[in-house]
Amino acid sequence: MNAPQHASLIGQRIPKMDAPEKVAGKTRYIQDLNLPGQLYGLILRTERVHARIVSIDTSAAKALPGVRAVLTAADVPIHPIGVNKDNPPLKGDKVRCERDEVAAVAADSLEIAQAALKLITVEYEDLPPLFDPRDSIKPGAPVIHEAKPDNVAMAFDYAHGDVEQGEADSDVVVEDEFTLHRVTHCCMGVSGVIADFEPVSGNLTLYSNTQVPFLHKREFAEVLGMDPSRIRIIQPPIGGGFGSKLDIYPFEPIAVYLARATRRPVKLIFTREEEFIASPTRQPAIIRLRSGAKRDGTLTFRTVDVLLDNGGYTSWGATIPFVMMQTFSSLYRVPHCRYHTKAVYTNNPFAGSFRGYGNLQATFAIEQQMDKLADALGMDAYQFRLKNAQEAGEITGQGMHFKTCGFKDCLETAAGRSGFAEKRKALGAAKGLTGIRRGVGMASMLHVGGGAKIYPSDGCGTILKLDDFGHVTIMTGASEIGQGSETVLAQLVCEELGVPMSAVTVVNNDTDITPWDVGVHASRTTFIAGNSAIGAARKAKDKILAAASTVSNMRAEELDLKGGNIVRAADGEKVMPLAKMLRQLHFSDKAELVMTTNYYEPPSVHQDKGFKGDVSAAYAWATQVVEVEVDTDTGIVRLLKVWAAHDVGRVLNEMGIEGQIEGGIIMGQGYALCEDMPVVDGHLVNPAFRDYKLITAPEIPEMDIQFIETMDGEGPQGAKGVGEAPSICMAAAVANAIENATGVRITSLPFTPERVYSALKGKLQ
Amino acid sequence: MSSLVEISCVVNGTPTRLAVPPQTSALALLRDHLGLSGTKYGCGEGECGACTILVDGVSVNSCLMFAVDFDGRTITTIEGLAVDRASDPLRQAFVDKGGVQCGFCTPGMVVQSRHVLDKHPHAGPEEVKRGLEGNLCRCTGYKKIVEAVVTAAAAQSAAE
Amino acid sequence: MTAIERYLAPADLDSALAALAGGNATVLAGGTDLMPQINAGKVAFRPILLNIRRIPDLRAVEVGQGRITIGALVTITELKDNPVIAKAVPLLAEAADHFASDQVRNMGTIGGNVANASPAGDTLVPLLVLDAQVELASATGRRSVPMAEFFTGPGRSVRRPDELITGLSLPLPRLRTVSRFVKFGTRPALDISAVSIGFSATLDSGRLSDVRVAFGAVGPTPMRGRATEAVLEGAPLDAGLIAKAAATAQDEVKPIDDLRASAWYRRELIHNLLGKVLSDVVSR
Repeated sequence: MNAPQHASLIGQRIPKMDAPEKVAGKTRYIQDLNLPGQLYGLILRTERVHARIVSIDTSAAKALPGVRAVLTAADVPIHPIGVNKDNPPLKGDKVRCERDEVAAVAADSLEIAQAALKLITVEYEDLPPLFDPRDSIKPGAPVIHEAKPDNVAMAFDYAHGDVEQGEADSDVVVEDEFTLHRVTHCCMGVSGVIADFEPVSGNLTLYSNTQVPFLHKREFAEVLGMDPSRIRIIQPPIGGGFGSKLDIYPFEPIAVYLARATRRPVKLIFTREEEFIASPTRQPAIIRLRSGAKRDGTLTFRTVDVLLDNGGYTSWGATIPFVMMQTFSSLYRVPHCRYHTKAVYTNNPFAGSFRGYGNLQATFAIEQQMDKLADALGMDAYQFRLKNAQEAGEITGQGMHFKTCGFKDCLETAAGRSGFAEKRKALGAAKGLTGIRRGVGMASMLHVGGGAKIYPSDGCGTILKLDDFGHVTIMTGASEIGQGSETVLAQLVCEELGVPMSAVTVVNNDTDITPWDVGVHASRTTFIAGNSAIGAARKAKDKILAAASTVSNMRAEELDLKGGNIVRAADGEKVMPLAKMLRQLHFSDKAELVMTTNYYEPPSVHQDKGFKGDVSAAYAWATQVVEVEVDTDTGIVRLLKVWAAHDVGRVLNEMGIEGQIEGGIIMGQGYALCEDMPVVDGHLVNPAFRDYKLITAPEIPEMDIQFIETMDGEGPQGAKGVGEAPSICMAAAVANAIENATGVRITSLPFTPERVYSALKGKLQ
Repeated sequence: MSSLVEISCVVNGTPTRLAVPPQTSALALLRDHLGLSGTKYGCGEGECGACTILVDGVSVNSCLMFAVDFDGRTITTIEGLAVDRASDPLRQAFVDKGGVQCGFCTPGMVVQSRHVLDKHPHAGPEEVKRGLEGNLCRCTGYKKIVEAVVTAAAAQSAAE
Repeated sequence: MTAIERYLAPADLDSALAALAGGNATVLAGGTDLMPQINAGKVAFRPILLNIRRIPDLRAVEVGQGRITIGALVTITELKDNPVIAKAVPLLAEAADHFASDQVRNMGTIGGNVANASPAGDTLVPLLVLDAQVELASATGRRSVPMAEFFTGPGRSVRRPDELITGLSLPLPRLRTVSRFVKFGTRPALDISAVSIGFSATLDSGRLSDVRVAFGAVGPTPMRGRATEAVLEGAPLDAGLIAKAAATAQDEVKPIDDLRASAWYRRELIHNLLGKVLSDVVSR
């Protein structure tokens, strides 16, 4: 649209394909869908956080006119879900956290379903609760899951080198404990699902917001005892993902149970309060980190001990060590590293995956210690980082191979544009505890940028077809969750086939049509689905040019596709319209349609049992510098400006990538400054936007965003993933900036006015 | 159960007579009874702005409004702005400037922006940010939304 | 489920007061507090839902006899934008600018904010320092209650169920009156205040008189700071007095710990922010 007809689309500012219908209010999200004859499902959640269920009386609810089903654990097969298979969708024996589902209702209307919930009575026998993960691992602590008598849901151990040697080599050593809080995704569209059994075949259609439709399908088959081939998942447009829809959650099987019991479609949509209480969170963590360096500024070792509050059940939050340990082992060159994590059960809410996946927590710890080490060595904080930064070609202790690496460019760019070193020195010299103080802070990050080989396959399939008129349909396994993947995929295909964006349709939301993909996560879609789509397009192009070669008496290598035509590669001279060629293929003796398929599996490897291996096909880097103002009379921290430099491989859609980075920075700002989910005795005290504060428009900082283009050899047109990267550095950078402004280092989040004020007064416990 | 209240109002230019339960919110009326699903439920308590509509040309949170209060009023929802030629530059600016990602907040953003521009035809970034302070967006970081509205203001001024 | 038996939207005050006479009506004005409170189960509907928004008398803003009267249905946006209010009682217009969001300001009314009686109500602190009277009417008569006597607890006031707030009446500030409003928060608006401070006084030759100080969200109701006022009244406003006033304020407020702030922090804020307000007054 902004590009002249024959110019490359790569790097252009391409508006999102779905934007025109979204600005017109025509996009139909799950909340907007209604099926004929549908019932309304609701869930009764526990009032207790750790209790044995003595009895559930649903008789009055069942007797209410308009109620079509009331289900408890007694009515459904016991099939726990989640990463540890420890979470039965309906709880029968006991409840373990505030979210717990004890009964579900399907009724003719929402009002009737609400009335029915109030008629269900549950008798509980309280059990001793655990709210602090440090208590959960004490000897004799109450047991939350009988299958895990030590309350340890998961444990991870990783090491390279010899940290004792590293200690011995160190001239300075620092050790701190960092406490990371609980926040949640706050997707503007609340969670929901519609389950619909086809009455004759018994096939299940699930209208779902999932980010992992193909894994979902398999998991549903297990939970429901169904043949997976009889489950179809349709994904309506999603009102925000950010990792929240990466696991199966109890409400989804519950909706299916209700649909099966009533033989009617069942729609189950959360309220915002329920969304806060029962949708996943970011993983809280307590990180004890010890690091050392030599007098010349060379890092010597790191030892890391992380305790994760796993909550009542195990979802992806427990597995963030996969990502955390990469940052500890490999963001900087560190010869000796030992990492240990326990995720332990408590009676708190449990965490899922959330944009950044443990990396915000790890980076918060590491980058504060980088400042501390630099200060202890009397080195400039920027030079200290530069000295230890990774470079292209490095294979780290964890086996990650950085084929391209723009880290030093990121550091230089962000530091240079912000005047970081000079500002840090000047503001640090003026630091103090009165009036309004300014400070700058820096943080950098490493994150997977070419998928992450965790599942047996990290691939994505594409089916591509061209019709008689040159229209291209891309059927991809990769879901659009608002990030703009369908636009980028269309762009990449257009680039190969020389057709305009208007000639492309992307189909990405129906498991009966689209080929397999592992899911939208790990910043992988542009890289993996992009390469898959390019491969499919190249196969189509080969076929078209081979055919054109026979009709034009030119060699296929002498031809190209541009501007909707077959052209001479040498000078762009038109040979014939693409559509004409397609029709000739179709309606000639050959009778061929141009349809191709491609499956792209990145050249990454699975980690070994020691978590070593080159798990991603490419790695993304970034440095962010922030400038803040601290009002020492109130503790208010204002974020004034962010300088962000990101190694994105190559910019494909400049506007799209800016949107990802800006949105990520602001999400990181919220994590650093205001978002918080205080849980008291297992209960969330602020399940509303009134007191769960997202950043609003007047609070956003000025943003200076720079792209470092390292042209990754494996990336689609040289690009790497970027979706998660922009949120990761913010809290760490803000922490460093507050220290620069006031001399007070705060190792717990968030930096709310009261926490900062308490810290300035030396009263933070 | 309470009885229905008869009201008449103009919804997106169409005179409409309705019988509504008095406790029903305007949001529920629009979405569940009139099929105007462009107006979104985001929080139900006036904190997110996804349900913003114009009532007599003034923006309100439809989740906080009683549907019976539509009586005698002129209502404009995103579906009305979608066919409003005067709002073409505003919608187009959201598209062209990248102000849309998941799109769930977008209808409320567009409607509120309409009100901001009606009140401040030459709005600059600071006025727009204040004008949109009641509209939450989790995807974009607001910057491109603010740019879109400022661009639309400039386009509107140029057209005058 | 709560049931509304009748919905009434009278066009004149007398009809509204007649409907209220039995005390059986839930009053609807802007609805911005009512709807969430109903949804959260904090209040239940009474049999009559009485929508007072169609009563034109309640929208007037009038200046006369040394007072300004502001009708109960004047919206927060009107408080912010009305030139008469901006000129006569700029403090109120300033407070309105910190109130919720544009959409809520467009619906919410000053009468509703007073009736809701939240300790953190954004207009209440300025109304207290402006010495407003709450005008109440019922089928049996009318009365005026000083703001300082109106609130009896969180969400509670001396308003009887058969009474309607018809408006607020405020004396026009004298010449040389200085007034300030501070709402603590990280955002310009859309924040439930953890602390707010209102200040009004006549400043003449470096001395303050007719001092009124009020605090929001530091007690069960918005409160006048009588002890702080006493410290400031008639005394030369210098650094020593400012420190004493700030310390007095810190002692006299009665905050609680809640999820928005601890009592300790609220007292610190009262101390520091009042100090800032007074220093700002001195510097002008």
